[in-house]
Amino acid sequence: MAKKLTKIITAWVPKDSKVIDFGCGDGSLLKELMKTKKILGYGVEINNKKIEECIAKGVPVIKQDIDKGLHEFESSNFDVSIMARSIQCLKDPSLALNRMLKLSKRCVVTLPNLGYWKCRINLASGKMPVTPELPSSWYETENIHLCTIEDFESLCKKERIKIKDKVFLDSRGKQSTLVSMSPNLLATEGVYLLEKE
Amino acid sequence: MKTRTELMSFPDGIDLESGDRLDTFELMVESYGELNESKTNAVLVCHAFSGNHFAAGKNNDNEKGWWDQLIGPDKAIDTNKFYVICCNNLGGCSGSTGPKSIDSKTSKAYGSNFPQVSVSDWVNSQKMLMDKLNISSWEMVLGGSLGGMQALQWSIAYPNKIKKAGIFAAAAKSSTQNIAMNEVARESIRKDQNFHEGDYIEQGVIPKNGIKTARMLGHITYLSEKHMDSRFGRKFQDDDSKVDQDVDFEVENYLQYKGEKFSEVFDANTYILMTKAMDGYDAAGKFNGLENALEGVTAELLIIGFYSDWLYPPQRGKEIQIAAMNNNIKSSYVVLEGEHGHDSFLFHNDQYSQIISKFIQS
Repeated sequence: MAKKLTKIITAWVPKDSKVIDFGCGDGSLLKELMKTKKILGYGVEINNKKIEECIAKGVPVIKQDIDKGLHEFESSNFDVSIMARSIQCLKDPSLALNRMLKLSKRCVVTLPNLGYWKCRINLASGKMPVTPELPSSWYETENIHLCTIEDFESLCKKERIKIKDKVFLDSRGKQSTLVSMSPNLLATEGVYLLEKE
Repeated sequence: MKTRTELMSFPDGIDLESGDRLDTFELMVESYGELNESKTNAVLVCHAFSGNHFAAGKNNDNEKGWWDQLIGPDKAIDTNKFYVICCNNLGGCSGSTGPKSIDSKTSKAYGSNFPQVSVSDWVNSQKMLMDKLNISSWEMVLGGSLGGMQALQWSIAYPNKIKKAGIFAAAAKSSTQNIAMNEVARESIRKDQNFHEGDYIEQGVIPKNGIKTARMLGHITYLSEKHMDSRFGRKFQDDDSKVDQDVDFEVENYLQYKGEKFSEVFDANTYILMTKAMDGYDAAGKFNGLENALEGVTAELLIIGFYSDWLYPPQRGKEIQIAAMNNNIKSSYVVLEGEHGHDSFLFHNDQYSQIISKFIQS
């Protein structure tokens, strides 16, 4: 899945651009973009162990709680901001989206889809979804703002955020005609390229 | 660990930021490890306000260098790989030319006549040291507190001579509060009856009480409230081990003891000089703001702050990182817990050491 995501995102990031990755984890994505797209990349991460891994890879990293604000990055003229699988963990995802689009023209967001049929079966049987993509129990999960593909797209509409491109992945991390026909039911993950209208 | 200590002479002297000039000067330099043949593994460590060239290893009195927890074989700054150099700053009192030294013109100690030196002057003198050693580029320059300011200044003043900079528990300039604290310390020295306007050596005395009080105050600012609380609490000092019968609490005894010890080895004029240099530093000074100051920087920056540091709080480091990022400089900013307040930069902990070690080797 991670490999596929990297491939999709790489295609959307212009060469030599300045990129910020919120919730960058161990810095793998940025490292790959540094190699293939010669980007100047900065990661933002809260976990010290992950920060260590970024530094070992030579990926510049900033320790910061994304929930505490992204406004500090607004003066830095980024070309692309990325938030992979983190937006659902934030206290105010809508504010974060708008902030990201303020600090960079392009913005890449990926999110797990709560509308995926397995999640729906879980819910229909009266339980919170626990799937390979969303493995944690309700009391352990960091995902406090899960949504479906449809939910996310209506938020974009409401906030006048333009979806420039989107890719849907199934549980094996693959794209298919079937999944793109009915992503809200069949996709486990949505990958979006956003711009401000 | 191969260690060398050497007093190096600079007969060409140095023009200082103040406009004054030292016609000749000496630096006490210590090095650890071996310089490789291509001279590409040299690391400069800059000391903080009261530090000196003795950064690692043990001396004859079995005392350890101020950064021994981080410098050595297989440590964060690995002397198996890097050739680490540290010098006592100009104006210091541990062997380099300073107010205690004899001025050849007058054959007397400089005392109050020693010119004011600055962070820039230190960096310039370290550059002269670098040239003398035929090192064309530092792999990294790093330090904490005032040492971090020197690392930052290196990256600004000599961008093509430094590949990486480590700026820990530092800031691009001292805060109002920093200056205020230092002024109280300086005042206690100046008002010591043995100070004699800085010419106490001539009078054959030392303003020990002043230095002691200054250090006691300084020491409080280096520690965090939490650390002091957990270390001393409100415990009373044993009668047998009291340094003074007026002492009640352990923390009083500790400060008395530390202050006394410091006053026996540190020079009062150096105290004033170093704190003045610290207060006076402003990386943005000659430029129109910090962002402009960092425009030419090419070194990769690692900025580390500590949550428990209230003297140079992490936010001050973040300002440097943001200004660097706005200039498209590869730069990282990490905040660590650190138990020891401002002094946290001196101590090993796994994350701190790992981050430094990975950065220097990346």
